[in-house]
Amino acid sequence: MAQAPVRSGIADNELAFKYLLIAPAIFILLLIGLYPFVKLIVVSFQNISMFDDIRSFQGFIHYERLFEDVRLWESLLHTALFTLVALPIELVLGYLLALLFLQKLPFKQILVAVILLPIVIAPIVAGSTWRLMLDQRFGPINQVIGWFAGGDVKLLWTVDPLLVWPAIMIAEVWQWTPFMFLILLAALSNVDQEQLEAAEMDGASRWMTFRKIILPAIAPVMFIAVLIRALDLFRLFDVIWTMTQGGPGTRTETISIYAYQMAFREFEISYSAAIAFLVIFVLTVVVVLALRRVEVAR
Amino acid sequence: MKSILIARRAFLASAAGAVAIVAGTLPALAQSAADRAVEAAKQYSGTTINVLYEAGLQPLDPKNFTGPMWEELTGIKVNVIESPLPEIFTKTMQAHRAGSGAYDVLNVVPNQMPDLALAGALEPLDAYVEKYGFADELQTIAPVYRDNQMKVEGKIYGFPDDGDTLVLYYRKDLFEDPENQAEFKAKYGYDLGPPQTWEQFGEIGQFMTDKYAPEIYGAGLLRQPGNAQYMFQERFRTEGGEFFDEETMKATVNSEAGLKVFNQMLEENKWMPPGVEQWGFIEAFNALLAGDIAMTVSWPPVGRWAAGYGKGTEALSWIPETTVADKIGYALPPGNNPELAVGFSLGVASGSKNKEAAYLFIQWMNSEDISIQRVQLPYALRDPFRDSHFTNEEYRSRWSNADEYLDTLKAGAESGLLDLSLLQTDRYEEGLRQAISSLWGGDDPQTILDDLAGQWDELTERIGVDEQRRVYSDWASKPNAYPN
Repeated sequence: MAQAPVRSGIADNELAFKYLLIAPAIFILLLIGLYPFVKLIVVSFQNISMFDDIRSFQGFIHYERLFEDVRLWESLLHTALFTLVALPIELVLGYLLALLFLQKLPFKQILVAVILLPIVIAPIVAGSTWRLMLDQRFGPINQVIGWFAGGDVKLLWTVDPLLVWPAIMIAEVWQWTPFMFLILLAALSNVDQEQLEAAEMDGASRWMTFRKIILPAIAPVMFIAVLIRALDLFRLFDVIWTMTQGGPGTRTETISIYAYQMAFREFEISYSAAIAFLVIFVLTVVVVLALRRVEVAR
Repeated sequence: MKSILIARRAFLASAAGAVAIVAGTLPALAQSAADRAVEAAKQYSGTTINVLYEAGLQPLDPKNFTGPMWEELTGIKVNVIESPLPEIFTKTMQAHRAGSGAYDVLNVVPNQMPDLALAGALEPLDAYVEKYGFADELQTIAPVYRDNQMKVEGKIYGFPDDGDTLVLYYRKDLFEDPENQAEFKAKYGYDLGPPQTWEQFGEIGQFMTDKYAPEIYGAGLLRQPGNAQYMFQERFRTEGGEFFDEETMKATVNSEAGLKVFNQMLEENKWMPPGVEQWGFIEAFNALLAGDIAMTVSWPPVGRWAAGYGKGTEALSWIPETTVADKIGYALPPGNNPELAVGFSLGVASGSKNKEAAYLFIQWMNSEDISIQRVQLPYALRDPFRDSHFTNEEYRSRWSNADEYLDTLKAGAESGLLDLSLLQTDRYEEGLRQAISSLWGGDDPQTILDDLAGQWDELTERIGVDEQRRVYSDWASKPNAYPN
């Protein structure tokens, strides 16, 4: 009984020491993470633009404007739709590639390295390269299509509204499917082989094996990969900027491009801060819900 | 190639000689504006000035020519910072807003000068001009640039430094071919020559395409929205269009003139090379040099390079071999009121920590003595902008028809049309760029123009109708805002 306070004192000291150790890291994180966020919120309630520099509280004028801004909601819709289409394509292609590379293949290591190359290319370079590849005058893509079509073809990939999203999709999927492939290859390599063999012996179909053994085994890793890519796709900027700059018209304008236009072309600083807050809010809700869902599934 | 290298060496040697003479006589005479700038700048020896330039060939002037020369003369080092053209305004404003003092010398796109000046990003230069006696030499800048690209609300904020004007380039061999002339006249009833109207441009282009495609197409114009918006601005006004109703400040870009231009542009694409909708400066330039097109409308450097001027220069090694040297004719675009598209004025950043040194550098660069050398640099993109540049005998003998070229630029500088300049001009231009990309995307022209007008009206409301009317009226009252 008499020793309890001493033990408690030691525990308190240990706890304080732990906090002391992590304090610098927490401080730096707050400085680089929390400060800009707080500043963003403050600016969104001011009125700073090219000619105005009103730092006093201006109420919710910029947030009210968000609801009236059709172009903003269109760009959000573009972003959401593109994410919903590109993400499953990257996931399925990445998974199929990973399955292929689980087999014994000649030059497997070299092939993996080659497949991963697009990831190391800066997205702005990837976008520029694809724009040139798809160019009518200089690009090889239309030439190749022309060989199959038996004559010259005129496909304006970065101009024609019917082709412009597929063009962006090709560039994006080309660059980021290898990321899915890499993560899923690692996950699939760790699936319990004994369980797979047992399922095979029990006569389980491929679908049942996938659903009952493989999917549960790779789900946590796959979820993280999907989450990372979904966030990336939601912030998509570079590839579209270099390929179409959001055109034709505003047909391929994503929320990041719109926010950039508002902030750095039109200098609507406070309004763009409100847009940024909206994006952060949407992403936070999505991420929290997704994490909760995974937690519940566990 | 050897003769060109020798010519270049001789040119640089003469430039260096001129500098040496200037430097040697400075203390005694100090007469010209360049001399005065050099003499005064020596007190800042050892400092570095940061100069913002459009990325690409433009910065080769301060990097390879004026920068080293200025350092040798004054001891002031010139650090060149490059930025793509669409980002120059953004970077200038960002530096100003952040108070970073990142730039000392600025390249200002003239129609953005009011925005930058009113936002306080530019240093007024009147006091410096008076102090260093530059007023007389400013008067010898070609009037259209001097009167429109220098001042905002009566104060000097920049020195016009680049005589940009759009020029029609055409294949003389095709136009002067007797068979072509006879066939054309029989079909259209008038002589084949540089088109005077856009209707004629369409007929001549169609004629050439019908006869020579796919080897040669009638024309290839710059259709990327960033370039095409200048062509629209020009054509819209030559067709009688006005951007706004001056009373109400309602946009009138969706008028009959606007629709006519949009429809003409769509029709022209049908006889131009496939995919012309994606063409920018480089695509049209390449096609002209390769002999793939009979006409194009572009900026002045195209004419110099198509004639082979600067051939063999390392900085121009990327330019494909011209197949049309001595075959290119120069004329004003149809309508004879070319857009004075973009251009540059040299200014000083209000946040500069070396304002005086920065000012002296731009006075020296812009002076009669130095600017005549700069506009003849084969690799640089500065185009003649002083009266003396157009008449300079050395320049007029640079290639076989350099005199015609300079006469065309001079004519452009007289009848050229100013880029639309308003408060927050770039936002109006952004709307126009989007409208043009929608046009290539297949949307209905009238609907696009109505949307554009609506967008401009909304913008005007937000900026302030009265304020914008004041700025627009001031701009519209200038002799080169609309055709006379």
